[in-house]
Amino acid sequence: MTDRLGFKPHFYRIASHAVMILFALYFIFPLVFMIVSSFKSEQRIFSDLKTIVFAFLPTEFTFENYAYVFHRVPFWRFFFNSVFVTASTVILGLFINSMLAFSLARLYWPVKKIVLSFIIAVAIVPLETIAVPMLVLVNHLPWFDGSVSWLDTYRVQIFPFAAEAFSTFLFYQLFIGIPKEIDESCYVDGVKPFRIYWNVTLPLSKPVFATVTILQSLAIWNSYLWPLMVTRTESVRPLPIGITALYVLNMRWGHILAFASLITFPMLILFVLFQRWFVQSIASAGLKG
Amino acid sequence: MRRKTHSLQANQRTYAWLMGLPGIVMLITFVVLPLLLGAFWSLTNKRLISPVPTQFVGFENYRNLLSIKTLQVEQDNPEKIREILRNDSEYRGYRELFRMKGPHGTRLVLASDVVFLKSLRNTIIFVLFIVPGQGGAALILALLVNRKIRGRNFYRATYFAPVVTSMAVIAIVWSFLYNPSQGVINVLLKKMTFGKVSDIGWLVDVRYALPAIIIVSAWQATGFQMVIFLAGLQNIPVHLYEQAGIDGAGEFQRFRYITFPQLRNTTIFVVISTTILAFRVFTQIDVMTHGGPENSTSSVVYYAVEQGFRQQRIGYGSAITMIFFVFVLGVALLQNFLLKSEKAID
Amino acid sequence: MKTVKLVVVMLTALAICGVFAGGSGETPADGAKELHLWFHGGTADETEAMRDQIKRFNDSQDGYVVVMTEIPGGAVAGSGYNDSVNAAAVAGDLPDILDLDGPNLYNYAWAGYLEGLDGYMSEQLRSELLPSLIDQGTYRGKIYAIGQYDSGLSLVGRVSLLKKAGVRIPRSIDDAWDLDEFVAALKALQALPEVEYALDCKMNYGAGEWMTYAFSPVLQSFGGDLIDRDTYQSAENILNGPKSVKAMNFLQWIFENGYSVVSPPDDNEFVNGKAALGWMGHWVWKGYHDKFGDDVVAIPMPDFGSGAVTGMGSWAWAVSSQSKHPEGAWKFLEYILQPEEILAITDINGAVPGRSTALEKSTLFGNGGDLNIFVQQLQKGVAVPRPKTPGYPAITTAFYTAMDNIIKGSDIQSELDAAVDAIADDIRQNNGYPVQ
Repeated sequence: MTDRLGFKPHFYRIASHAVMILFALYFIFPLVFMIVSSFKSEQRIFSDLKTIVFAFLPTEFTFENYAYVFHRVPFWRFFFNSVFVTASTVILGLFINSMLAFSLARLYWPVKKIVLSFIIAVAIVPLETIAVPMLVLVNHLPWFDGSVSWLDTYRVQIFPFAAEAFSTFLFYQLFIGIPKEIDESCYVDGVKPFRIYWNVTLPLSKPVFATVTILQSLAIWNSYLWPLMVTRTESVRPLPIGITALYVLNMRWGHILAFASLITFPMLILFVLFQRWFVQSIASAGLKG
Repeated sequence: MRRKTHSLQANQRTYAWLMGLPGIVMLITFVVLPLLLGAFWSLTNKRLISPVPTQFVGFENYRNLLSIKTLQVEQDNPEKIREILRNDSEYRGYRELFRMKGPHGTRLVLASDVVFLKSLRNTIIFVLFIVPGQGGAALILALLVNRKIRGRNFYRATYFAPVVTSMAVIAIVWSFLYNPSQGVINVLLKKMTFGKVSDIGWLVDVRYALPAIIIVSAWQATGFQMVIFLAGLQNIPVHLYEQAGIDGAGEFQRFRYITFPQLRNTTIFVVISTTILAFRVFTQIDVMTHGGPENSTSSVVYYAVEQGFRQQRIGYGSAITMIFFVFVLGVALLQNFLLKSEKAID
Repeated sequence: MKTVKLVVVMLTALAICGVFAGGSGETPADGAKELHLWFHGGTADETEAMRDQIKRFNDSQDGYVVVMTEIPGGAVAGSGYNDSVNAAAVAGDLPDILDLDGPNLYNYAWAGYLEGLDGYMSEQLRSELLPSLIDQGTYRGKIYAIGQYDSGLSLVGRVSLLKKAGVRIPRSIDDAWDLDEFVAALKALQALPEVEYALDCKMNYGAGEWMTYAFSPVLQSFGGDLIDRDTYQSAENILNGPKSVKAMNFLQWIFENGYSVVSPPDDNEFVNGKAALGWMGHWVWKGYHDKFGDDVVAIPMPDFGSGAVTGMGSWAWAVSSQSKHPEGAWKFLEYILQPEEILAITDINGAVPGRSTALEKSTLFGNGGDLNIFVQQLQKGVAVPRPKTPGYPAITTAFYTAMDNIIKGSDIQSELDAAVDAIADDIRQNNGYPVQ
């Protein structure tokens, strides 16, 4: 059996696999190179480059680069900072944004329309447009412990990103679709709105919580501009800033690639484990946005 | 009964305020307030560190950023032109943006902040390449991995993997890949072309630096758009294809008359979100090229950070971000318009 | 589901704790006052040596405890140290003691963020410090910063290669290479089969302070400069004058003809034997010497026509005017300026000890020492300080941006014109940096 052009279906299958493999190579080769080379000595990295094929093969297996990274930079500190800032921001954000969305979607609120358009307007403002004035602003914000500035703290990395208009919007879209009858029967029984939010609405909206969690985690975990501006000490700096500091300080590629691999592993592992979630959440954000 | 509704509403109103307030307060504090401050400071000469008091300067910053003049010269003599530019008070502080050669000599287009206009140009070029390039590639990938074929989960994971990596890390790794003499990419190109292509100065050559940045960016983000297209594809009702199958439509026709129209909304979303994300390009430039060589990779955001943060010129930097904001706003309004017009069609 | 809830609750608790927890945990014992110190984060060994010094100081007395914060990124542009200092200065959050890279201090002194040190300094200390250190630390007649060491900049070469190429090895600044000899040396070394290229210019440091520090001396040796040093108000006809153009022409020639490379893959081109000569700062000497032993030699900077010129100035210690305990901060500076403490750090980073009494004890820098050239350069006025003006940050940015473009092939005159305009713009924006 052949088609109009005289090719067998077989041919198309192989051809499309070939195309897909080529794409796969393109997307994966930097990561393979990074991980494979991170286990090689400096000389080996460069000598393997000459033959190119070996550059992508594990021709050597040493932990020296990793040992150096752990010795030279407080990797676990950076790691903790990243995890902590990401987790705090996301969790805080889930509450704040879903509560705001709930009050917009489910409660009687005369100014609802205004608030909703406010949120849509705010969603447009990218961080980059406000980063500089925000830097000056957080520089002069007081805190409970008597300090006069938020610079170089965890809170400066957390609070500005907890409330997030796009997440609120995603929550709102889901909440507005839940039948009102459920709430009304509760109100008749005298249940307070917060209880309804907590016991009825939240359990019904797990998928959108997963979506927001994943999108926000990716954004915060990988953020660069803001922590670059507001952190200076290792005690609060996250991983991406940690690696750029090492990059400008010391130019041994083995070390850099080991550090780069260390930063990439956690997200990569999470991604492999929860691949379907990642893909679904981005897909649903796309459909609703 | 009416009374009960009323008290219920009052009760809900209290809760609405209570539950909504944290979010609203934080959005005002960390988005609206900085935006207003920035808008105000863009009219001043505020600096981060200076014992000299801040002054209100009106639209001076904007004028500085956007001023353009032209200069007609009969001969293309660099020394003569330089003499005019450096000595004629009318052109003081202006530099050449580009030149046009005509029958009656050369017309020079001069700008008071060449770097800003170049950054604007670079950003627009970046967007013009990224949006169709990355979007098109994402659509092709989505179509490929949406079929029932062996290993499609593996392919999806592979294409998506760069999305979960951090751009700061990726930019560092790619700087190594791009090294002119010792980088994987040049070595690979050299082997594949039997030495005909070699020693491309990816990040150091004015001609290649911006393409190099575009390639990294597309590498990192295509998977993201692919997934959105994938979702769009899976949302297309199967019966449409079944009907087409009965009518005997070919693969291409099915794409042309079913898939593509059905993907309209998804495509608008991808185009708009990619455009806005592309306008914001910063990290890879900051890590890989610092905007160089000859500002060929400087983007609007990079220049804003450079001026407002590193050079401590808060006022000037704020003016740049305000202009940037106008662009983003324009794109967002365009999206609104497109989606509205679609609803009207329905 | 239960576990998910539990995890959420735990993470929330953690978040709340962390957000509300205060700064660092170290609290000084029995009434000692805490002094905060910022260190720019040098090499691993330098940081280690700094830690030891602080420990010795803390153990030596009971009144003060110095707590160090290392801010990584160092001198490299855009990597954070200066940005951090700027932001902290605005917030009124500066540490008691901080180190500043040479010429940046004038801006901070002008803005009033630094404490004058004259009142604290003993006559003896003042007389023993290298004149170059006093010179660099002084702004408008007052001392604001003192370095433990000054920097050294020179060429470095491999004796075996130089001999093989038939190149004369100058041993003191009086017989430095001239332009023709330097060019001939580059050509001869480039021709050697074991050499990939002649000169490693450390361009892996990127567009940043290194370029101004290491290559503005080339401008000066050709007779040009960064700015008019009488007024510090204009760079017109100086940075873009014919002599500076000639200097940049020469630099561009080096890179365009492959005698040096614009983007070396890493910091080890000389150590790996790929480059025959290195344009080096003192901090790399130890690594070079460890690798090649006596085969490596420091060569004085060439004389390109207006005399040999080298850079000077390094990281120097300053006391913030926001400090509540300036006398304690000074006590610490006095401690680390003792000869043996100076040597403890210069033995590691290879910098020129900043005090005559320390210099005498140094084998590396004493007469006949491997790096005695650095001392000669500083003492014989060959070293030129970077412009002493609050406008320096703008000057250096303008220069290294232009240089970065020029070595990659841009038009020299228009790049230098642009640099001059950028400097003028900055001076205008700051109302000419009026005296406060």
